[in-house]
Amino acid sequence: MRAADLAEPFPVVHLDDDALPATQTLAREGLPGLVVVDDDGHPLVVLPASQVLRFALPEYVEEDPRLARMYPEDEADGFFSVLENKTVRELMPSKQFLPKHDRNRPVVGAGDTLIEVASQMSLQHSPVVAVVDEDQTVVGVITVHRLLGAALGSS
Amino acid sequence: MTADTWQVVAAVAVFVGAYVAIATEVVHRVKAALVGAALMLAIGASDGDAAFFSQDAGIDWNVIFLLLGMMIIVGVLKQTGLFEYVAVWAAKRAGGRPYRVLVLLCTITAVVSAALDNVTTVLLLAPVTLLVCDRIGARPEGFLIALAMASNIGGTATLIGDPPNIIIASRSGLSFNDFLLNLAPLVVVLMGVFLVLIRWLFRSSFSYDAERAATVMTLDERRAIRDPRLLRRSLVILALTLVGFSLHTVLHVAPSVVALLGAGVLVLVSGLSSDEFLEEVEWETLVFFAGLFIMVGALVNIGLIEFLGEQATEAVDGRYLLAVTGLLFGSAVVSGIVDNIPYVATMSPLVDNLVESGAGPQSTALWWALAIGADLGGNATAIGASANVVVTGIAARNSHPISFWRFTRYGLVVTAVTITLSWPYLWLRYFVLA
Repeated sequence: MRAADLAEPFPVVHLDDDALPATQTLAREGLPGLVVVDDDGHPLVVLPASQVLRFALPEYVEEDPRLARMYPEDEADGFFSVLENKTVRELMPSKQFLPKHDRNRPVVGAGDTLIEVASQMSLQHSPVVAVVDEDQTVVGVITVHRLLGAALGSS
Repeated sequence: MTADTWQVVAAVAVFVGAYVAIATEVVHRVKAALVGAALMLAIGASDGDAAFFSQDAGIDWNVIFLLLGMMIIVGVLKQTGLFEYVAVWAAKRAGGRPYRVLVLLCTITAVVSAALDNVTTVLLLAPVTLLVCDRIGARPEGFLIALAMASNIGGTATLIGDPPNIIIASRSGLSFNDFLLNLAPLVVVLMGVFLVLIRWLFRSSFSYDAERAATVMTLDERRAIRDPRLLRRSLVILALTLVGFSLHTVLHVAPSVVALLGAGVLVLVSGLSSDEFLEEVEWETLVFFAGLFIMVGALVNIGLIEFLGEQATEAVDGRYLLAVTGLLFGSAVVSGIVDNIPYVATMSPLVDNLVESGAGPQSTALWWALAIGADLGGNATAIGASANVVVTGIAARNSHPISFWRFTRYGLVVTAVTITLSWPYLWLRYFVLA
């Protein structure tokens, strides 16, 4: 079985998309993460759902998590409101973008085998990997549940 | 040891090569220092005995372990949330008025920097400064630049405040109290001037919005402290450590031993895991210091430093005011351009020779000129001190980039003012009133 056989259609997000609807889609459909692509459909970053929270968190809170404790409850409840009228590009530091040929990214080739997919997922600590064709265009994603189901079914 | 001419030439070439590599950052500074140290051993300019067991011509373990001890103490203190608490408390006390907030944040930074490492101080205070600026609607770039500068000025006040002071103390034998009595009064004056100066330098950052300022009042600083017991214990042990430093003349315990004792007790009572209390230990910095000491020690070992010291002594010829002036301004210029740690590591044995050739407060003033010039000179550019590099990095990650020239524009003014004001202090205290 190859990665292309397991790849599922998955909403991809463009850099200039509004961040709030993208995040709402994630929550509504219970997706494990988001794939952010450039204008050519090449993956720039694959964000597990937990990392999507970084859209809304100020960088300084990430640098010093103790600061999160000082916010009053009403503001803490609505911390996602900062995403209003912001694009994905505005919220993503460019350092998170993945160089196209970087091996350290949760991306697998369409012809990769299950063990290659599992290895990449494990190595990158990511519950979702993007599957790309020879042109580096995203053809779908494989979630850890999908992979486990296929792997356990085969054995 | 008696060195061959080729060894002297080779040692100088290795030293200059490594120094250029460190200054220009063409290779990582740790790599440059380690390769330089290895080459010094390879050409026989140093050997195992000198490199590892000679305080004058090898690794100064007092410096390494003082830094290690203080890094561990900071690692535990960081877990307490004290710094975040104090910063937000200060912002609330200032009523969210930007200039008042900055004055209090800079004062806190200077005081903390005098007791702890500069880099750690800005690492802990920069994120909370960004939070406060976000709340009061002030642009944070000026706040962050001022924070780095306050840290460099405050760190000048004590033996443990800035790594160059630690190197100077170990080489000179000057005590914690010597630093406090000779440098702290000047630093208090300089901080006063600095706080006035920033009113003008960063005037565009001080627009006041009452509605935004009110939002800072909703922050609950008490929640930053998760473990009050750990905080109390940490503060007691930090205070005891500082007392230990100041009792050096009575107890005759080296600062490195005091720091390690403090760190050991704190680790014991904190109950933190080794990952947590070692989190702040900058292993790279410690290795850098070790490599640097071997390189400089090799120059001592082959007699080059002694030779240069004799030349310098002849050139000074008892004119210590001239030497102090040259060292103060020269160190400020060099430290603004290159890392002040390798500079002071190199200059210390030289200054040691000069001081030994004289006597009394006039020759000792050379140490203070070196410390003041190197510490305050670090404010001149964005790469002059580690705290500056850390702050500009944090600013960039938070989408508030501070360009090299922007920092330097302010840095040159602050350095010129602080160094110029330091000269009459040195002149009056060690030449006129001595």
